[in-house]
Amino acid sequence: MSLLAINTVDRLDRPSAYYVGKNKRRRYNDRDDEKPKEEDPTDKLRNATTLYVGNLSFYTTEEQIHELFSKCGEIKRLVMGLDRFNKTPCGFCFVEYYTHQDALDCMKYVGGTKLDERIIRADLDPGFEEGRQYGRGKSGGQVRDEYREEYDPGRGGYGRAYDEQRQREEDEYGAGR
Amino acid sequence: MAEYERRNSNYRGGGQRKRRYREDEDYDRRPQRRRYEEPLFVLVRRQLLTLAESAARRVEDDIVGIAKTVSENYEDEELRDTYINISLDLVLEQPMKIPFVAATSLAVYNLKPELGSEMLSKASNALQKYIDSGSWREVKLLIRFLGGLQAIFEGDGIFPLLEELFARAVDLQTTSSEDLLGLELVKIILFTIPYVMSSPATGFESQANALLEKTDIIASTPHTLVDLVNTFSPEENKEAAGPSVISLLQGQLQAEAGKSWELKCLPRPWKDVQEREPDEQKPFDVVAKVPFPQITVPNPVPNGARTLFPEVYISVFADQEVDTVPPTSDISSSLLREALVDTINLLDFNRVATAKYLIDVDNWYTPGTFVKRATPFDRMREMAGEVQAWKPEDVAVDAVFSQLYQLPTPEHKLVYFHALLTECCKIAPAAIAPSLGRAIRFLYNNLETMDLELSNRFLDWFAHHLSNFGFTWKWSEWVDDLELPAIHPKLAFIYGALDKEIRLSFAQRIRGTLPEPYIPLITEGKEKDTPDFKYSSETTPYSKEGQEIMQLIRKKATDEEIQPFIAAIEEQAQSMGVEDPKVPSTDALMTAICYVGSKSLSHVLSCIERNKDRLLAIGSASTQARCQIITSVMEYWADQPGIAINIIDKLLNYTIISPLSVLEWALTESMAAGTILSKSHIFEMISATVGKVTNRMRQIVAARTQPGLYEPQLSVLDETLARERADMQALFKFIEDSIISVAAGSNDEMMERGDGSGDLPDDAIIRQWGRRWLRVFRRKSAVEEAFITDALVNATPIGTNAPAKTEDGDEDVKIADADDQ
Repeated sequence: MSLLAINTVDRLDRPSAYYVGKNKRRRYNDRDDEKPKEEDPTDKLRNATTLYVGNLSFYTTEEQIHELFSKCGEIKRLVMGLDRFNKTPCGFCFVEYYTHQDALDCMKYVGGTKLDERIIRADLDPGFEEGRQYGRGKSGGQVRDEYREEYDPGRGGYGRAYDEQRQREEDEYGAGR
Repeated sequence: MAEYERRNSNYRGGGQRKRRYREDEDYDRRPQRRRYEEPLFVLVRRQLLTLAESAARRVEDDIVGIAKTVSENYEDEELRDTYINISLDLVLEQPMKIPFVAATSLAVYNLKPELGSEMLSKASNALQKYIDSGSWREVKLLIRFLGGLQAIFEGDGIFPLLEELFARAVDLQTTSSEDLLGLELVKIILFTIPYVMSSPATGFESQANALLEKTDIIASTPHTLVDLVNTFSPEENKEAAGPSVISLLQGQLQAEAGKSWELKCLPRPWKDVQEREPDEQKPFDVVAKVPFPQITVPNPVPNGARTLFPEVYISVFADQEVDTVPPTSDISSSLLREALVDTINLLDFNRVATAKYLIDVDNWYTPGTFVKRATPFDRMREMAGEVQAWKPEDVAVDAVFSQLYQLPTPEHKLVYFHALLTECCKIAPAAIAPSLGRAIRFLYNNLETMDLELSNRFLDWFAHHLSNFGFTWKWSEWVDDLELPAIHPKLAFIYGALDKEIRLSFAQRIRGTLPEPYIPLITEGKEKDTPDFKYSSETTPYSKEGQEIMQLIRKKATDEEIQPFIAAIEEQAQSMGVEDPKVPSTDALMTAICYVGSKSLSHVLSCIERNKDRLLAIGSASTQARCQIITSVMEYWADQPGIAINIIDKLLNYTIISPLSVLEWALTESMAAGTILSKSHIFEMISATVGKVTNRMRQIVAARTQPGLYEPQLSVLDETLARERADMQALFKFIEDSIISVAAGSNDEMMERGDGSGDLPDDAIIRQWGRRWLRVFRRKSAVEEAFITDALVNATPIGTNAPAKTEDGDEDVKIADADDQ
């Protein structure tokens, strides 16, 4: 109802800097080889009903996600993010609502709150496509879980790349180096 | 603010400037950067946005400072625009700052009348637009802002506009006794008066009193719907039932008139300046008055987008030994509440900022209105009797609860208020957590008489809130209540809360947060990820067939492969004289689907999807079998009802079961002498089912009332609407008929229990559950009916044909012409 063009405080239902940044970069690259694309990357989100949900514990179940996210509206589809190789949950998911408003409300009211005792992140997403449910990290999970230096019991301990390295060092040490 | 920052970088060819700035940095990396001079409008914007936010600076100085800057730099167009736009933005988004914004505008007007007039014309244009669109909250806020400028207006200033609004209210009220729009207009008038009377304008007592005398009859007459939206049904708890916001304010204003408009809590940021600077030109002394802007109030006034309902004043801090929030006898209770509630509802898009404004509530009112932040309750007790001041956290928390508890529905989704309270707790845990604790105790202690929908909202919030704070709660204080009868509202709350906690977490985790006496409530079944498949036991009838069916479903076998085993069960059942042999076969099928799909919701959904045709066929072939589908799901997941009702919800979407069958299952098959009414998940399931029906109904209404709809679609939609409306009414009637006997104590099963006297210890409790259920669903029914009736008032009538298309296609003109005739 408001006639205001601008709000006096930031809105939490805007696409994240990550989304905007990612698409800007892509646009910039495009310009090098082809014609510049003039469309706004956030155009695709104008009627988005899907959210990317991140920082979940590997142990968080569909039912838990459903219980929390259905507080913003009926859920049309829930796609768990899976490890590319093991097909086990790897800490993210896509939640699709029936309406754009429900998705915006979810950003405002659920993003940044806790699920399974972890602060989760919700970002507007242009929509799920087959293949996006898999982790893009080298070892099958999410990229962020490859190089994490801190121990996170909800997300498989240390980063996998470091874990391997540590394992190698330990083996070499054991071998008398 | 983000937008401003972005725009800022383009300030007057800023792009170029920025590049040069960056090059500088590249060439030499000395620590001193070229000094970037902040444009004036950026400075003023920041000063306005943070007006009254700092306890370190005097707000009076900021007000005079801003006014001087903008009036001395009148030629700076960007500065002028910024000042006007941000001021109005604040009025419309942060109502608690209106007195400060108004004081600034007053000073600006006196220092630079041209700029003041520009502001006035922009504000009145906006006001006119909001009046024309029926956005009554925005109208109220802009009128309040103009009311703060009363001193600059000629004659009676704002009062003629208020009188005109009142005249419209009278018209509406005389036309219909159920009118709510007129009440809304009276509310606007009443909430304007205190801000006019606390402005620098003097000598308007007689106008205010005259208006108050007139509004009394409308404001003090209780609306017919007010009992329906009360937190406490007057039938259950007459004392706790709150007064309507408008009648309360009317009385408070009359009392205030008798105290020469003391209005203690409202800030007067102009007063001190007035007295301090005797020689200079006084920023708040009016030089030349102007007429009040021309505002047209259409007759009749338009309805807004939001359906209106009476509002009731509630406080979760009533009944304390020490008042930590203003009592209803004090006008501060209404003034603080109204400003905070508007802020909460206007700023739902940033709960973090809103939480901060709530925590900072003491900034926006007369110093001394509140005690120091985070003053413990015990300290309040010691201070009682000294100067009366309120606990800011309690006032803030109370305002959020008033919205969480708004009936029939709050402006935003309930989860917003959950998130807002969580955020408050995060910002100031030591201050907010104890306030929440006392609020929880109040609500828990009043569970028996509270509106049932609200006690379920409480349950949902409580579990969700705890899930954000490590599930810590002082459960030990409710240990004694574990001795209560199982159907007691308090025990039902505990069961329900633990179940919801488990749904957001898992049983073992929740068990770890509970004191010993609660451990038996977390049964072994709740810890099982996969409940047992009853057909695995040889003693279960049809166990062999049940297991075969399960194996086939697991192997994703075809319908033809499953059929022989279904037939085998039905044959056996027939030979044993089972009334409807489809019932045991359906049980085996549905239980097998649940078991095979127990791994996750998507597993069970794909199982249902694969057997959809068979399930759909069962539903249409036999009512009893259809009911059995629900029974099987509810029994399989008896220990984890959250999953069960989720599956039921999906089955409704597939139209495998109908809304009525869910009601029949709960309120006929499983009534268990009314005891089922105490189970929170049953209330949740029935509410969700009814919600599905009413949502669909509203979609049809939206389709029917969309503009530009003509025959023949008009008649088609109208028929659909009539049919669905009848179905919806039948649904509500079914609920009414099933529960009324429980509420009256004449339910057959109830009569058959015990000695038939209806005087078993539990009977009174069951009857109360019945009454509370009735109240909720009667309200829902009334709300939906009112919605449909209201919506259809402006719908295109049946039989309207599309206007003939003209060659040049300027239909708009044609329609306008037709209206003129």
